[in-house]
Amino acid sequence: MLEIRDLKVWFDVREGFAKSRPLRAVDGVDLELRAGEALGIVGESGCGKSTLARAVLRLLPPTAGKILWLGRGIEALDAAAMRPLRRDLQIVFQDPLASLDPRMTVGEIVAEPLRVHEPGLDRTARGARVRAMLERVGLSADVIARYPHEFSGGQCQRIGIARAMVLQPKLLVCDEAVSALDVSIQAQIINLIADLKRDFGTGVLFVSHNLAVVRRLCDRVLVLYLGKPMETAPTAALFARPLHPYTRALLAAVPIPDPARQPARLAATLGGELPSPLDPPSGCVFRTRCPHAAAECAERAPDFRPPNSTALATQRVACHRLEEI
Amino acid sequence: MKESLLEIDHLSVRYPAPGGDIAAVNDFSLNLVAGECVGIVGESGAGKSQALLAAMGLLPRHARVAGSIRYGGAPFTRELRGRRVAMIFQDPMTSLTPHLRVGAQIAESLTHHLRLSGAAARARALELLRQVQVTDAERRLDQYPHELSGGMRQRVMIAIALACNPEVLIADEPTTALDVTVQAQILALLAGLKRERGMAVVIVTHDLGVVAGVADRVLVMYGGRLVESGAVADLLTTPRHPYSRALLRSMPRIDDPLDGPLHTIAGQPPSPARLPTGCAFHPRCERASDVCRSRFPALAAGRTDVACHHPVEDA
Ligand SMILES: Nc1ncnc2c1ncn2[C@@H]1O[C@H](COP(=O)(O)OP(=O)(O)O)[C@@H](O)[C@H]1O
Ligand code: SF4
Ligand code: SF4
Ligand SMILES: [Mg+2]
Repeated sequence: MLEIRDLKVWFDVREGFAKSRPLRAVDGVDLELRAGEALGIVGESGCGKSTLARAVLRLLPPTAGKILWLGRGIEALDAAAMRPLRRDLQIVFQDPLASLDPRMTVGEIVAEPLRVHEPGLDRTARGARVRAMLERVGLSADVIARYPHEFSGGQCQRIGIARAMVLQPKLLVCDEAVSALDVSIQAQIINLIADLKRDFGTGVLFVSHNLAVVRRLCDRVLVLYLGKPMETAPTAALFARPLHPYTRALLAAVPIPDPARQPARLAATLGGELPSPLDPPSGCVFRTRCPHAAAECAERAPDFRPPNSTALATQRVACHRLEEI
Repeated sequence: MKESLLEIDHLSVRYPAPGGDIAAVNDFSLNLVAGECVGIVGESGAGKSQALLAAMGLLPRHARVAGSIRYGGAPFTRELRGRRVAMIFQDPMTSLTPHLRVGAQIAESLTHHLRLSGAAARARALELLRQVQVTDAERRLDQYPHELSGGMRQRVMIAIALACNPEVLIADEPTTALDVTVQAQILALLAGLKRERGMAVVIVTHDLGVVAGVADRVLVMYGGRLVESGAVADLLTTPRHPYSRALLRSMPRIDDPLDGPLHTIAGQPPSPARLPTGCAFHPRCERASDVCRSRFPALAAGRTDVACHHPVEDA
């Protein structure tokens, strides 16, 4: 359904009077998403997760590369040509309240995509669709006349999801959609997204820094570091046998509420900090923090490739030393 | 029995409001012993920050604070803050002065509290930065806060906190805004400081995984109250309070068997302006009965201390 080839999104960054330099937020990413599949995009801040998601929706202009949507290149389409495609490309953001227009009622917010993309629908039919969707996301129909500020964060996120899902899009992009929520509310929204995906067969690009959430919701995962893909794999494989040193470090750093194991996990923490994306390391971008880095890692960027072992053929990894470590 | 340092007793915090008082904290007690690490968990608005800010005397003037705060057996005074008890917060940017170099900010607290001279303060600042494992410490002294990453800034805050060799460090969500690998580094640093200096640590977090990694004891707050407290090994494996148990189950974890949908707690945490009657958790609790709606359950001692009319029995 969605195919991305060697996508690059660079920004010009000016620091003081210095010459502008390109910040390579996304720097050569390939991905594929099949209909009804959920792909998790994970990594730490500045790894390019959100930029990638926004570029896919053409909310940001790609610098280079191809974005094939249902087989058609959309990377160069102008706003007018994109408009009819938007009904199938919807997004839910991190900050639920900020993403809802405060002057519109909940009913108007959820009806808006229907007005734009299904103008033939009469009032009654539109109202019925809005109410059905609100109920589907767990809100009673009497919220229609109320305004976003009257709702809690979790309820606003439900409203945002209702707006995104009311057209039954083929692709739902969730950009840190549960990250700002409290644990008890987060669990409700995670289950809601899982149910909607299953019932509507929606494809999902799930951008998140929370690996435990991604493990629950996604069929496959793509791990990014400084704009580059490190590893991609079916979710079960990635969590059972992470191959890239960065994936391993990332999983090891996720705290688990098990007092028998967590203190030891903490003691084995990956050192170092994310290098500046304006000045990424040569060769493998992860080498400054990688416990396995060798001379060749500084010289050449590793290919993003399947491991030699056929048993690991579903995984792709960017590491020179994959077969040794 | 170890010496108790900070003793918070029957602390409550209220804000007068037109529609009736906002009860941010109700009857919160904590007896912090030298060298231990206590985790305080709860969702936003549970009163975690308010309880600690009140204990430190850092609340706005219109807050009505009641209860007793003692330190080393005597009433807690402002002079102890920064010296014996230091505090760090989620966003280091709010506590750092933007236009002051890192070295000068650390030195400021050294000259203020310890009356060190300029050169001695700079040398000590450098030593502190190294203790909190700041890379390139010498160069960092001359940088401004905005030139540092979030993780580095939090290390600088910890360095400032350590300046006077405090016996207690209070950390309010110190890693919530950080990336997961950096969070692990900061937590490992805190665990090391506790171990090596015998410093007591109070860490506020909404993440039970954080608690499991660093704390000896954990307090669970809900609706401004303490609902359960106990040893981490007990409370995180077999919680007795229905809320603690539900919270633990509804947290997605990378080691769960994925054998069904995530457990959820219906509804949402209460607003302190409109707390439910009786047990504040009753509208969301699977075990609630009539008594829960009418009478508040007092905290009762047991394997863990729990405030509940129908605690989860030990299996
Ligand atoms: N200045 C204030 N006036 C009124 N209410 C306040 C004030 N400061 C905090 N509160 C309320 O006190 C409650 C507890 O807050 P807090 O201690 O920050 O919770 P936590 O740290 O557990 O998230 C919140 O509902 C908050 O809105
Ligand atoms: S290529 Fe080298 S530096 Fe990069 S992950 Fe592999 S071993 Fe580490
Ligand atoms: S007192 Fe009642 S409502 Fe409150 S947690 Fe216990 S069983 Fe649930
Ligand atoms: Mg707080």
